[in-house]
Amino acid sequence: MRDQALWIILQRLRTPLIVIIVTYAIAVLGMVLIPGWDGEAKEVYHLSFFDAFYFISYTASTIGFGETPFEFTYEQRMWVLVCIYLTVIGWFYAIGALVAIISDKTLKHELMKGSFRKHVQQIKRDFIIILGYNYVNSQVIKRLTNAGLDVVLIDHNADNISIFQLEEFSRGVPVMVADALLTETLEYAGIRSPYCKAVVSHFYKEDKSLRIAVLTRFLNPKIIVISKATLRDTMTSLIDTDIAKVENPFEIFAKRFDIALTAPHILILENWIYKNADLSDEASFLPQGRYIICGFGRLGRAIKEKLDKHGMDYIIIDEKLVANREMIENETFIKANADDKEVLLEAGIESASVLIAGTHNDIDNISILITARKLNPKIYIIARENTMKESVIFDSAKANWLFMIERILINKTSLQLSKPLKHAFLKRILYQDELWGTSLVNLLKSQLGSNPKLLNLTINEEKAYALYHAIKDGETIQLNVLLKSLRDWRAYHKAIPLFLKRNGDEFLLPRDEVLKMGDQILFACDEESRTEIEIIASNIYDLHYVCSGEEKPNWLLSKILKMST
Amino acid sequence: MNLQKVISGFFFILAMTLNFGFFYGDMGNPELHSTYELFAALIISLISTALKIGDKTQIGSVLLATSLVADIQLIAAVIVWTFIDHTSTMSASNMAIIVSLSGGALLANITSVILYIGETLKSKR
Repeated sequence: MRDQALWIILQRLRTPLIVIIVTYAIAVLGMVLIPGWDGEAKEVYHLSFFDAFYFISYTASTIGFGETPFEFTYEQRMWVLVCIYLTVIGWFYAIGALVAIISDKTLKHELMKGSFRKHVQQIKRDFIIILGYNYVNSQVIKRLTNAGLDVVLIDHNADNISIFQLEEFSRGVPVMVADALLTETLEYAGIRSPYCKAVVSHFYKEDKSLRIAVLTRFLNPKIIVISKATLRDTMTSLIDTDIAKVENPFEIFAKRFDIALTAPHILILENWIYKNADLSDEASFLPQGRYIICGFGRLGRAIKEKLDKHGMDYIIIDEKLVANREMIENETFIKANADDKEVLLEAGIESASVLIAGTHNDIDNISILITARKLNPKIYIIARENTMKESVIFDSAKANWLFMIERILINKTSLQLSKPLKHAFLKRILYQDELWGTSLVNLLKSQLGSNPKLLNLTINEEKAYALYHAIKDGETIQLNVLLKSLRDWRAYHKAIPLFLKRNGDEFLLPRDEVLKMGDQILFACDEESRTEIEIIASNIYDLHYVCSGEEKPNWLLSKILKMST
Repeated sequence: MNLQKVISGFFFILAMTLNFGFFYGDMGNPELHSTYELFAALIISLISTALKIGDKTQIGSVLLATSLVADIQLIAAVIVWTFIDHTSTMSASNMAIIVSLSGGALLANITSVILYIGETLKSKR
């Protein structure tokens, strides 16, 4: 038997049950044996078993209908007295035991496990398993549920689960208190289910994520594991499992830093896709000149690589690190606490153009930021924010660019899971140059305004009925058919196809690719062109019109007309 | 020696013997079948059911099932008897119904005891 809860209840109820049976038996037997006096017939009589059971039943449950069938004698009443105390005590004991079982922790846990399993088995849509409840995962759950995906949450801490259940977005999310590092738990969470698409594992200790990735690989190699990794060792091991998608917030930020140096319009596009900002933002290169890196940890190293790549001038300040020879030769290192006026002056803050407050301590970073601003009001400051707890202070400190580890993880994880096509597009554009970025941003702005909508179209029977059948019948349909205006087939509406994904192939800014079954296309559009695309894709008459410029004859109507003529 | 085994074995076998005691005798003759014995058989049968509850093993489940069968048969016998007592008069055919019901319970009890003995013999301790 796999359902433990029922057995726990039955086992605990064994003694109370026996107590009740025995007390009732004694009481009933006594009532039968003790002679009574029949007042009407003036003779001695004995209660039948039925009478005795009837009397004891209502006496023991303290209902008390009175003495039946005749008034009791004093001998009988003495025994009734005994019965009352005996049976009532029996009942109290049983009820007490029952209450104790209900509030029993093991039982609660088993009940939770049972309902969790049932709930997970009932999910018949794509779902995602989230391991651990923390700020990042709470935001990820919020966004995924908003995007219509189902999630399943596991945490080993009961308090975390209780906190989660107070949240509004927790409705309909199966939760379980368990150790996620065990195979059994993952199986309960439905990892073997064909509907399970991904496991999100953002543990603070990164080796746990590795363990999850390895377990998942053996349990169900078809799903992906999304995990955070900031250490090189863990990263490579995770990638070696083949199913892990590794998110290293430091590398992600360094990549953006790189892009900000060379192609800021790409960043504008990225922020627009993440819905952090619209396209009207001013794109500006990071200032040239001297860079000061405070804190040479994972972030500092990643940024230094990028600065080296572009041959920029920089200086590193770190308290703990011992300088290597290269640093000493180039005089690019100061071993000191960056949160010190003298040190910042020594690093040349007055003439520097950018300062990166990148230590792992949030308060230090804010303090560095404030000091630096005082010494050089014009300096461009990049500040690292490790947790979202101090976000109010960071906002008021007014850094030019905030590096928020948690925000990056939230954005990346939820986009990857809920909008995989957008994510794939984003990955591609990060490798484009500034010219490409500028022209696309300008094109989008001039045609669709500063905040175009995104439309995701998949060529399948459900989403694009007309296209699906046309392609199935062997017609050749180019992508630009979808862009034609329904008012005049020679004109085009405003939408811009951004990206086409076909099995392994990806096309940026496609225009006249021939559509195939299962293609996924991302459009930038406004409300009007969005409707047009959707109508062309799903309505056979409109599709025929934009392809040929003629109205498709209605089969049924033409038959009828023919018959009448 | 295991005290728990003694107690449960005692109740299982007592349930069977009491049941037999009630069942034994001419089917249609009410004078040969005592109410008290039926009452005792039912109570002991209920207790042995409670003792069997919560055993998760395969044999435990079957034991519980046999015990439940015995309970139901005995309770049916008691209800029939009460009904006849208060509505009509006790005849040989009525008594036969009661006794045959308890006979069914006896079979269930015997099965239960055989299973119990079998399990005990299998055990190496």
